[in-house]
Amino acid sequence: MNLEKVVFGFFVLLAATLNFGFFLGDMSDPELHNSYELFAAVVVNLIATVLKFGDRTQIGAVHLATSLVASLQLIAAALVWTYGSEVSAGGMDGETMAAVVSLSGGALLANIVSVVLLVVETVSFQRR
Amino acid sequence: MSSPVSSQTSNLPVVETRRPSTGILLVLRRMRTPIIVLIGIFALSTVGLTLVPGEDPQGNPHRLSIFEAFYFMAYTASTIGFGELPYPFTPAQRLWVTVSIFMAVTGWAYAIGSLLSLMQDRAFRAALARRHFVNKVRHLGEPFLVLVGYGNATRSLARSLDEMGRRFVVVDDDEERIAGVELDAYRADSPALLGNARDTEVMALAGAAHPRCEGVVALTGDDDTNLDVAMTVGLLRPGLPVIARTSSRDIADRMELFGASEVVNPLDRFGDHLRILLRSPASYQLMVWLTSSPGSPLPPRRDPLPTGRWVVSGDGRFGRELTEDLRAEGIEVDLVGGGHPDSTSDSVQAGDLDAEHLQGAVAFVAATESDMTNLWLLRTAQQMNPDLFLVALQNRASNARLYESAGVDFGMLPAELIVHEVLARLANPELMQFLPRVPHMGEEWSDAMVERLVSAGGDGAPDLWRIVLDQREAPGVQHWLSDGHLTLSDLLRDPHDRDHALHIVPLVHVRDEEGTIAPEPELLLEPGDVLLLAAPASARRTLADTLAHPSTAAYVVEDRVVPSSWVWRKLTRTSL
Repeated sequence: MNLEKVVFGFFVLLAATLNFGFFLGDMSDPELHNSYELFAAVVVNLIATVLKFGDRTQIGAVHLATSLVASLQLIAAALVWTYGSEVSAGGMDGETMAAVVSLSGGALLANIVSVVLLVVETVSFQRR
Repeated sequence: MSSPVSSQTSNLPVVETRRPSTGILLVLRRMRTPIIVLIGIFALSTVGLTLVPGEDPQGNPHRLSIFEAFYFMAYTASTIGFGELPYPFTPAQRLWVTVSIFMAVTGWAYAIGSLLSLMQDRAFRAALARRHFVNKVRHLGEPFLVLVGYGNATRSLARSLDEMGRRFVVVDDDEERIAGVELDAYRADSPALLGNARDTEVMALAGAAHPRCEGVVALTGDDDTNLDVAMTVGLLRPGLPVIARTSSRDIADRMELFGASEVVNPLDRFGDHLRILLRSPASYQLMVWLTSSPGSPLPPRRDPLPTGRWVVSGDGRFGRELTEDLRAEGIEVDLVGGGHPDSTSDSVQAGDLDAEHLQGAVAFVAATESDMTNLWLLRTAQQMNPDLFLVALQNRASNARLYESAGVDFGMLPAELIVHEVLARLANPELMQFLPRVPHMGEEWSDAMVERLVSAGGDGAPDLWRIVLDQREAPGVQHWLSDGHLTLSDLLRDPHDRDHALHIVPLVHVRDEEGTIAPEPELLLEPGDVLLLAAPASARRTLADTLAHPSTAAYVVEDRVVPSSWVWRKLTRTSL
C-alpha cells in the first residue's frame, strides 16, 4: 500500500463528496445549503489540486485540469455567496442561492470526472 | 503508413528529446507540501474564527461570517494587520487569533523557505539552464555551428567566428568552461550547454538536428569524444559538415568513414607548415595572414629556414612522419629517439640525444607531445651546439612564455594551427582552392600578392568574401554578363570615379567547379561565375552597389549615365 495514493484518493473523493453534500437540496432555498460545507469543499478542492501538481503523465495532466475547474467553480460560488450575504442590499435571496448552487453543481461534474479518472487509473494499474 | 512525399521532402531525422520542462514540474512537486500546509492553516484559522463567540459594541452576540474571518486572516497572516474588524474582539477571539498568527507565520516561513532552497538547488538550476538553452537553440533563425568542447582552440575559433558575424552553440562537459562562454561576452548570443557531447541526446539538444545547423566542429583534446561526435552526426544528419580534430591516422580514417567532411590533424599540419616555410617564407606569411581573423596584423615574414642537416627528436610515429615530410623537401634529417621500431616506449629517453648527432647540424626540432620534454630537449641541444636553429611543437598555450625564454626560433601551437585551418574552411570554401596552391606559386608570386593585399587594404587581414554572379546576388550586371563583355577589371572599377579601381584583390575565380587563383584583370566573366575577393569592408559595400543597381553598373562598365527611374529613362530615351 502506497501512503501517497491513500492521501491522494482520500482528498479527491472527499472533494467530490463535500461538493455533492453541498449541492443536495432545493436550489433556491438558503436554509438547505450550509456555508461551512461550501468552505470545506473549497479548501479540500484546493488541496486536491495541489496534490496533483508536478505529475508529468497524460492522466496526471487531465487530473490537474479537472481539479482546477472544480476549484475555480467553487471559488466562484463562494464569491457569489459572499456578495449575496455581505454586499447585496437584498441579502441572501433565492436567486443568488440558485446561482451559488448551480456553480457548485458544475464543480460537482468536474469532481465526478476526477473520481472516474481515479478509478480508471486504479483499475488499469491492477491489470498490468 | 508513411507517405512517400514526406520522406522525400524532409531529410531531417526526428530525434526524440525529452522536453526539458522539468524546471516547473520540479517546483510544483516540491511545493506540494508547503502549499497544502498553508491551505490547511488558513482553513483551520478561518473556521475557528467564525466559531469563536464575539460581540458588537452594544454587547449583542455577533459571530464573524466566513468571509469576514477569511479577510481578517488574510491580512493578519501576511503580517499586514489592519486591526480588529468589524468590531473589537472579545478575549476568546483574541486567544484564537494569537494561535492562528503563530500557525500562519510558521506556514509562510516554511513555504517561502522551501521555495528559496529550491531556487538554490543544483538540479533545479541545471534543469532551468538546460530549458533556457533548448529554447534559445530552437529559436535560432540564422545558420549556426555547433562547437564541441570549449578549450583553447575552440575559444579562439569562437572569437573569430563572432567577429565574422557567424552564430554558434557551445557544448562542453566542464562547468567552468561553460561559465567561461558567458564571460567571454560575444556580440551574438551564444547558447552554451553543459553536457557530455558523447551523449546523442546532448548533441540533438545542442542543435545537431536543427534545420539551421550548418556544421559541427569537434576540437576537444580527446580523440574518442571527437570520433563519437563525428559518428553521431554522420548517422543523424548524413551530409552535414563535420570538422573533427584527431592526432591519430586510425581515428581519422574512422571519422572519414562516417562522413566527417574535414579531419584536422594538428601534428600533420605542423609538418606541412614546416614544409611550406622551407619552400617559401612569403607563401607562409600569406597563408597565415589570410587564415587569421579579419583585421589581424600582417605577421612578420620569417627568414628562410637553414638548409643543411636537421635533427628531429619526437615521439614515435609523429617523429617519423615529420622526418619523412622534411626529407621530401630534400633535407637531410636525423631522427633521434622514439624511432626504434622495436622499442616499447615511444617517448624520448635521456640517452637518445648525444653530441655526435648535433655537431654539424643546422636545426633541431623538439616535437614530443609533452612540453617539459620538449624544453628539456631544446636546452640539451642548445648546450651541445649553441648555433642550432630551434624548432618546437608547443602543446599548451600557457607554456608559450617558457618556449620564448628557451630561445625557440620557430614554435607552433597545435591549437593555433587548428584554428587557422578550421577558420579557413568555415569562412570560405573557395579559400581552400587558393591556399593549397600558394606554396607552388613560388616566393616572388607570394611576395607580390602580399604587396597587393597590403596596398589595397593596409596591414589588417582583409575581409574575404565570395560573390556569385547570378541573378540573385548580382542583378545589376546581368545585362553585361549575358552579353559576355564584362571583364573583371571593369567590374572592379570605382562607381564614384570609374578611372580608379576599387581596392579589391580577386583571389579565386571558379567556373564549372574549376578554380583559377589570382585571375587576370582581362578575364571575361560569365553568368554563374564565383569570385573570392579580398578587400577592406568599405570596398565591399561599394562593390555591392555595382552588383545591385543597373544604373551604377552602366556607369562603371560603359561610362554611360542612365537614369535610375523607369519614367526618366523613357523621357530621356536611354536604356540599359
